[in-house]
Amino acid sequence: MAPAFVIVGASLAGASAAITLRKAGVAGSVTLIGAEPEAPYERPPLSKAYLRGQASFDSALVRVPAFYAEHGIATVLGTAASRIDTDRRFVELVDGRRFPFDSLLLATGTRVRQLTTSGASLQGIHSLRTVADANRIRAEMSPGRRAVVVGMGFIGSEVAASLRQDGLDVTAIEPSKTPLYRVFGETVGRRIAELHRVHGVRTVFEDTVESFDGDQRVAAVVTKNGRRFGCDFVVAGIGVEPAVGFLDGSGIHTDNGIVVDEYCRTNLEGIYAAGDVANHYHPVFKRRIRVEHWQNAMRQGAAAAHNMLGEPVIYDDIPWFWSDQYDWNLQYAGFHRSWDQLVVRGQPDGNSFLACYLNDSRIDAAIAVNRGLDLRRVIRLIKARQPVDPRRIADESTDLRQIAA
Amino acid sequence: MPFETATSTKASAIRPGALARIDIGRARIAVANVDGVFYAFDDACTHEQCSLAEGDLEGAKVICACHGAEFDVRTGDVLAPPATEPLRVYPVRVADDILHIEV
Repeated sequence: MAPAFVIVGASLAGASAAITLRKAGVAGSVTLIGAEPEAPYERPPLSKAYLRGQASFDSALVRVPAFYAEHGIATVLGTAASRIDTDRRFVELVDGRRFPFDSLLLATGTRVRQLTTSGASLQGIHSLRTVADANRIRAEMSPGRRAVVVGMGFIGSEVAASLRQDGLDVTAIEPSKTPLYRVFGETVGRRIAELHRVHGVRTVFEDTVESFDGDQRVAAVVTKNGRRFGCDFVVAGIGVEPAVGFLDGSGIHTDNGIVVDEYCRTNLEGIYAAGDVANHYHPVFKRRIRVEHWQNAMRQGAAAAHNMLGEPVIYDDIPWFWSDQYDWNLQYAGFHRSWDQLVVRGQPDGNSFLACYLNDSRIDAAIAVNRGLDLRRVIRLIKARQPVDPRRIADESTDLRQIAA
Repeated sequence: MPFETATSTKASAIRPGALARIDIGRARIAVANVDGVFYAFDDACTHEQCSLAEGDLEGAKVICACHGAEFDVRTGDVLAPPATEPLRVYPVRVADDILHIEV
């Protein structure tokens, strides 16, 4: 009998895997199961062009909805999986339907971390993960309304930028010294803070939310340091966590997501994971990493599909993503948690620079502001893991393509 | 009705492997020199309208510097997402070192 391929999670990683299976001409059924009602879509526009009403939802779709049926991909949307029976090998959904599998891909992504602060259940407090979330925020957006953004990670920073671009009054509260402080450090973080201030965001650093005040609807945010910001609505971007609750008792190993090897394989035969939920062994960085970005979802989903087909593919793409804020195109590549040297090409107080994070003279990661070409060229050096001369990286007259990798 | 425009750009000013931007009226056009053959296409990436002339050219592949979309400059076909729509391409002719583009 032809094998049954089942994919749980109908976002970019899952859709990419399903499309890859069909492109490879696989015999057997391909079933794509998703908790959200929409056909698979890409999330990057939700905090940017889509939020500002400058891009349609259709333009965010991975494929037009009719594509899936036309290509023999059965979609089961609007219903989440509730458990996996790994002995009898079926997926059970919250409505009780069961889908037997021979080969299973888990691509359930993440869910937003919930606020536990006093008043967090008031109306007008939003988070952003899905298009439904984005629509709720859009309904709040009109020029002059007052918004408080809680958290200045990527989502918070992008939302703050979009709200300001649409003429709202924006206050952003972030516990660290700068936006994205933990990832980028003070030099780059301060520059991003300045970008937001120049565009009129009221930034509040090293402070956190003590409570949300209001009668039914949020009317003010009070911080630990005793500041009070009146507001019409709140957007919280305080991070996400891997969506693995449905795996309890399944025997599938989880630790900061679903643990997989470089072939996207879990500890159980025939069961794979990809995308935001996968804590994947990366052969370049020689450790497990979990990446919550577009390229990883698309490419790792495709790699997992090849492995499901018995065509071994090691997934070793260097993680890469972009974050557009105002007129800045910010891009990051690599993986780093700490660094012993920061090498900057260009002026970090300007609007165009590349900052490389080095350990033992090797580039682990880089961030580029309006310098996508430099970033592309440095990816090769990140992958090579060879020591580089930091002076040459910093020297703008050096063509980064000429540096030996 | 498309018609050919003699641009003010010299073909010899665009080296093999290089990209250039040429404005023809209100049209923003990018030109690529692929091993001595010139190709013209819309400068705006079909993904989010970044300038492709500011991207990278590898063989006949142009790569957008903003978000990494890739196109075949000869046909306009999408080679890599996030773009999904092909690029419009335009015929190019070189006469007396001057680029003529039919927009």
